[in-house]
Amino acid sequence: MKRGIHKIKGAKKAKKEPGESLGEKLARLFEIPADAYGNRPKVTAIGRGEVLIENFKGIMDFQNGMIRINTNNGVIKVTGDGLNIREITSEEIIIGGKISNIDYDA
Amino acid sequence: MFLVHLWNYIRGYVIIIVTGRSLERFINICSKRQILLWDIVRKDAESASMKASIRGFKLMRPAAKKSGCRVHIKKKCGLPFCLYRFKKKKGFKVGLLLFASLLILSTSIIWDIEIICGKPELIPQVLNVLEVESIGRGSFKRGLDPKNIASRIALEVEGLAWVGVEIKGVKLSVTVKDSIEPPVLIKNNESFNIVAERDGLITNMEVYAGNALVKEGDTVRKGQVLVSGKLQSKNPDFGTRDVHALGKVIAKTWYESSLPVSMVYTQRLKTQKSHDTVYLRFLDRKLKIGGEPPFEIYETQTVDKFLSPFGIKLPIGLTVETSFEIMERQVDLTMDEAISVALETAKKDLEARMPEDCVVIDEIVKQVTSESGTVYIQIVVECEEDIAGLVPVLE
Repeated sequence: MKRGIHKIKGAKKAKKEPGESLGEKLARLFEIPADAYGNRPKVTAIGRGEVLIENFKGIMDFQNGMIRINTNNGVIKVTGDGLNIREITSEEIIIGGKISNIDYDA
Repeated sequence: MFLVHLWNYIRGYVIIIVTGRSLERFINICSKRQILLWDIVRKDAESASMKASIRGFKLMRPAAKKSGCRVHIKKKCGLPFCLYRFKKKKGFKVGLLLFASLLILSTSIIWDIEIICGKPELIPQVLNVLEVESIGRGSFKRGLDPKNIASRIALEVEGLAWVGVEIKGVKLSVTVKDSIEPPVLIKNNESFNIVAERDGLITNMEVYAGNALVKEGDTVRKGQVLVSGKLQSKNPDFGTRDVHALGKVIAKTWYESSLPVSMVYTQRLKTQKSHDTVYLRFLDRKLKIGGEPPFEIYETQTVDKFLSPFGIKLPIGLTVETSFEIMERQVDLTMDEAISVALETAKKDLEARMPEDCVVIDEIVKQVTSESGTVYIQIVVECEEDIAGLVPVLE
C-alpha cells in the first residue's frame, strides 16, 4: 500500500518536472533572472565550507554527516564532515562544515 | 560577521539544548514561525545545541510541544543578561550615577587657559584681568560670556588692537593682538627745556631747536639747563619765542664705587643634606604634604611635576620644593684674592646704577689704604652717554 502510493507520487513528479510553469516561461521570455521569479531553490556553495540554499521547504534529516533539505524541485542532500546549520530562517538555510557532496533527488 | 555577532550580543541570546526524536520537525516549525536559529550542531542522535534570540526562545514553546522536544537553556549570553545582573546590584547603580555626574561636572568647568599673544609682557596683564573677573582654572563654563570677557580685557589692558575669547571644550582660549604704539608727538607750541640728567663733561652737542646755553667742553651739573626753550631774538625789541627744545647732548660721565677689601670671605657651601617638601597641586590650589625643612640656612629649588599620560598635561600634579642645607664658612683670603672678590662686588654695584645706553670708555681701579689700616678698592668708570632730558618750562 505504502509502496504503491509512493510510486504514484513519484510518477506524478516525473511528469511535472520537465515542464515549466507559465510564469516561469514568461520570466524566461522577458529575461528576468531565474532566481527572481518562482520558488525554485537556489543553491550557492562558497568554497567548501558553506552552502546557502534559498527557497527551501524544510529540513528532512539532520545529522553530523548528512543534511537533507526538501525543496520544490525535490530533495537536496548535502553530505560532508561535521555539518552544522549556521543559520536557518523561513527563506534560507546556511550549512557549514566540510562539504563533500551536494546531491539532488536523494 | 563580527557585526552580526555584536548585534546578537547586544540583543542577547541563549544557547539551548533540544532533545527529542524529531529535531528536524522542531527546526522546521521554528523557521516557519520566524524564529531565527543559528549555529545548530548535532550532539548525538537525540539532541542538538543551537542559539536563539530571547524573543525566539519565548515563542519556542508551541514548537517544542508540537514536535515533542524538550528545550533546556545551557547558557544565557549578551548584554541584557549582563545588565540584569547589574540591575540587582545597588552599588553599580550608584557608581554609574556618580560616573555620569562626574563626567558632566568635569566637562562643565574650565581646565585650561591658553593665551596667544605676540608680546609676552601682556600675558600677566590679561591673566590679571581674568583674575579680577574671577575666571580661572576650575570656574564653571556656564555664565561665562566670551564677548563680555573680551571687551573687559580690551578695556583693562592697554595697547591691544583686538581681543578674541573662545571656549573650546574645557579650554578658554584668549587671543590678543597688540597694537603698535603711536609715535610721540612733539608739539611745537609747547615750551620745553633740555636739562642735564647727570653731572658730566660735554663732548658733543647737536641742537635741533632751542637756544644752547652751554658748549662742548663745558662741565655741567645735574639739573642745569643745557638748551633753553626760550628763543631769544637778536634784536631785543622782538622779545622771545617759546619753542620745544630738541637736541642731543653727549657727555662724559663718571661712576664710582668703593668698597673695603675684606680679607675674610663667607663661603656658602651646600651640604649633603636636603629636604623635600611636597605639595599636591590641583588646578591652582596647593596642598602641603610634609613639614618645613629642618635647616637654619637653606636654598630652595622648586620643581613642578605634571601628571601627563599620553602627552596630555593634566591639572593635577606634585610640586616638590627641595631645600638644600647651606653651610657658611669663613675663608681667609690672600690679598690678591680679596681684591678680586671686592672688585667683582663693586662692578656688580656699578652695573646696577649705570643707564643702559651708556658706552664705557675707560675703567680705573685704585687701591686706597685708609688711616685706620683698612684697604679700600675704588673703581671709576668713564662713560659717554646722552644726558639730555626734557623738562617743560613752567610759566
